[in-house]
Amino acid sequence: MSSPVSTGTSSAPSAQPVTVRMQIPRRLFATLEGVFNEEVFFLILSVFIGIFSGLAVVCFRLAIDWMHLALLGPLPQTHGWRLFAVPALAGLVVAVLVIHVFPGIRGSGVNQTKAALYIFNGIIPFRTAVGKFLCAALAIGSGQSLGPEDPSLQIGASIASALGRQLQISREKLRLMAPVGAAAGLAAAFNAPISAVLFVIEEVIGRWSAGILGSVVLSAVSSVVIVRWFLGSEPLFRIPVTTFKRPTELVAYAVLGIVGGLASVAFAKSIGYLRPRLSALPRWTQYFQPALAGLLVGLIAFLGAPQIMGAGYDSMDQAMHGQYAWKILAILAVLKILATTFSFVSGSPGGMFAPTLFIGAMLGGAVGDVERMFFPHLTGSTGTYVLIGMGVLFAGFLRVPMTSVFMVLEVSGNYEIIVPVIVANTFSYLISRSLQHIPIFDLLTRQDGLILPSLEENREETILRVEDAMLAVPATILSAQDYVDANYHRVVGSTDPAFLVRMHPSGWNVISREQLQRLFKEGKGELMLGSVLPKQFLPSLYPDLPLDSALRYVNNYPLIPVVNRADSRRLEGMISRESVFNKYGS
Amino acid sequence: MSWRLPKLVPRSAPVILLVLTLAAATGFAGVSHLVTRFTANQQSRGRKLYALGLSAASAGRYEDAISAFRAALTCEPANSQYQLSLARALRDSNDSRRLDEAESYLVALWQRTPQDAAVNLALARVAAHRGSVEDATRYYHNAMYGVWNSDPDGNRRRARIELIQFLLKKSAPERAESELMALATSLPPEADEHLQAAQLFAQAQDNSGALGQYEEVLRLDPVNAAALAGTGEANYRSGNYATAEHYLQDAVNADPQDANSRQLLASSEEILRASPFHSHISDAERNRRITAAFARGEQRLTECAQQKGINLTPGPGAVPSVSPLTTLQSRWSATKPDLARLHSPAETALPDTIMDVVFQIEQQTAAICGPPQGTDLALLLISQKREAAAR
Repeated sequence: MSSPVSTGTSSAPSAQPVTVRMQIPRRLFATLEGVFNEEVFFLILSVFIGIFSGLAVVCFRLAIDWMHLALLGPLPQTHGWRLFAVPALAGLVVAVLVIHVFPGIRGSGVNQTKAALYIFNGIIPFRTAVGKFLCAALAIGSGQSLGPEDPSLQIGASIASALGRQLQISREKLRLMAPVGAAAGLAAAFNAPISAVLFVIEEVIGRWSAGILGSVVLSAVSSVVIVRWFLGSEPLFRIPVTTFKRPTELVAYAVLGIVGGLASVAFAKSIGYLRPRLSALPRWTQYFQPALAGLLVGLIAFLGAPQIMGAGYDSMDQAMHGQYAWKILAILAVLKILATTFSFVSGSPGGMFAPTLFIGAMLGGAVGDVERMFFPHLTGSTGTYVLIGMGVLFAGFLRVPMTSVFMVLEVSGNYEIIVPVIVANTFSYLISRSLQHIPIFDLLTRQDGLILPSLEENREETILRVEDAMLAVPATILSAQDYVDANYHRVVGSTDPAFLVRMHPSGWNVISREQLQRLFKEGKGELMLGSVLPKQFLPSLYPDLPLDSALRYVNNYPLIPVVNRADSRRLEGMISRESVFNKYGS
Repeated sequence: MSWRLPKLVPRSAPVILLVLTLAAATGFAGVSHLVTRFTANQQSRGRKLYALGLSAASAGRYEDAISAFRAALTCEPANSQYQLSLARALRDSNDSRRLDEAESYLVALWQRTPQDAAVNLALARVAAHRGSVEDATRYYHNAMYGVWNSDPDGNRRRARIELIQFLLKKSAPERAESELMALATSLPPEADEHLQAAQLFAQAQDNSGALGQYEEVLRLDPVNAAALAGTGEANYRSGNYATAEHYLQDAVNADPQDANSRQLLASSEEILRASPFHSHISDAERNRRITAAFARGEQRLTECAQQKGINLTPGPGAVPSVSPLTTLQSRWSATKPDLARLHSPAETALPDTIMDVVFQIEQQTAAICGPPQGTDLALLLISQKREAAAR
């Protein structure tokens, strides 16, 4: 790459400066290439992924707004036939596009990103991004009860994947591109980088890894910067004053958690029940399913609840400021579950994040108002209950407990309510888990015929540790400083096939009965045992290590010492191949 | 159909980064153009909706105004003017549930521009709606010292007047008075402004402050009926009945329909007729007034006792009722013989002693039987003035 360039003959006086000019960039490039190893390059690439995803999400939001205004007009002033005709007709167009042009955009963007990570080596066709952009903008803009976050996530993932493929980065890194892009897309859509990072770690990647965390954070932050640059830093909601004064009020928030958990289960079960049944209907019906869903949403709006159309952030904002009575809030929550279920199962592209927040907000407000009717001394405002309700549904329906807590905190910018949020979310999560065993994303994946790792199961899977397979400290431990014959006499009465040897000044080794016997018979009884053993020591393990880490040694050594972390000479026990295999087999 | 992006080329990191930077810059420029166009379109739509909202709000159709302002905000969510107008409409819609939302908009605006006087004033009004004296005072002060886009002096003055009116409504006259002091120093030489300040001083029961402002009004507009009436009333409240009579007479002449001034004038005249402490009357006239007041005292006592069903002169063998009125009756009866010595030049303290009995009767009966009328009222007011002077 940096091979010297011929300078030609000295008789050409003008050649010298030209050569220098050419050499400088080449040297610079060579130096830069040395700096940009794959790790560094991946981090820098993450920033670009964030920028491109941010730009795409800005366009996506403009497209939704433009569609909405063009088709429905400003929502507070939308009247008449347009309310139900527009979503129905747009549904027809979306159905044709999804069936004939973009068949890959059906389903959840989260699951498609997970599938890219675990099945398709990080590949998400760029066409998916285009299709998702167009169809979701049309569906959401026309009023279907879906949110823009899931498509944004998938657009980000798709852009990242396309970029990774074009740059021909390694397969290992390419797999990680999709989650990095997903974090950027989600962060841009929510204007909340921390929640986006947590969601991707919690739901898509499923593990904390320093290697990926830096990239995910960089992409999320850069996409949020882009969105705020173009669309301003206005939060999704104007957060009213929220306070938490008396610990006894946690009971009220726990009740909200319980109600939210039950609503989450109802929401998840209705989607889980209807989706495969609608998919199983004859193909020609799929042309009309989004249209019928749109008609239903439009009719609900026409009959007096236009708030359920689209993402519904404006209505959440109003609920947060006590604009609706509790009965209206409860009705809106139920209608939104209905509308979102039909919109989603019909195959219209769009996400469930915003509808989940909407349902949670309305339910939270309703529960809070009812509680305060019976217990007027409760100090939490309607806004507080609405905010906590959002987190409750997030925890119960999407089953992302950490994201649900941080999402509320990040959106509200108020850490005073962290305890009520955690209490309510915990109740909701536990109820949802006990009544709906399979989380919604896993359920959708299984319905699509894919087997992806269930990250909730992974999180809770019991990890076998070394201590679980550990044998007791043996009665006979040989010493490297004793003579061979002394050690031999010590093992005469034992039936063990091998023995641990304590080395001096530290470390462990192992010797089999046969080896020791042979040394004795060869007349080496006068030698120190340590002097006749191989020089390399045994690897030692600690009791808390995962048992998997023992697997790489058990075939090479008959015994492996398990020592104390504070004192490596102190033996806690030992493991053998049989003990490890027996544990895995049990 | 398979879509593929064109393959990027050299696998040289610097080149790739250069290409990515150029692509990002191009995308940035493209999106900037799109956003600019979209924003301009939205702004135009928002302005129309905002105008609709303003006309609805000015017509008192707050529901329509709120709807229009909300629609305008969907076009331009960060527009401070739209947010402020929506907050005002929400606040003025007479729906207490909407105060939260109004406050939320305003607090968001305040966080962005804490020095904006209009936002602070709107927040002060929300706090005033809620009845929070501390918050309202804080925001009114912020509004007074904040940045106004036009007529800063007038707007600051109006904000202070609004605060004073709020404080008076919330029964915080001391706070109101300190604001009035500040207001008095910032008034322009206009009769209306001074008149309003004077009336506020009067509401705060600061008669000297009120008199100062009324005098200023009369200096600027000598025949201002409201100022004449106000000056008369302030003098009346201060116990300067002779001066009060003079101004109240002028006020009644200027505005014969002014019932309050007429009533105060009658009361002043009655006081001046009944007071034995007037400096320009003869000894004989003073004694006559004392005698008349003493007789009036007994009459008031008797009327009050009858009203309350108390027998002040029980027959022999009857148990006398225990009441302040019977005690007063006893004092009155014990003092009555002293009237005969009223003409003696040696009895210099006697007029005060006799009038003390009268004043006690008027004060006690006013407390037991309610506010008096006519001469009794005059005597009560004289007693209060005497007490105030003694303090």
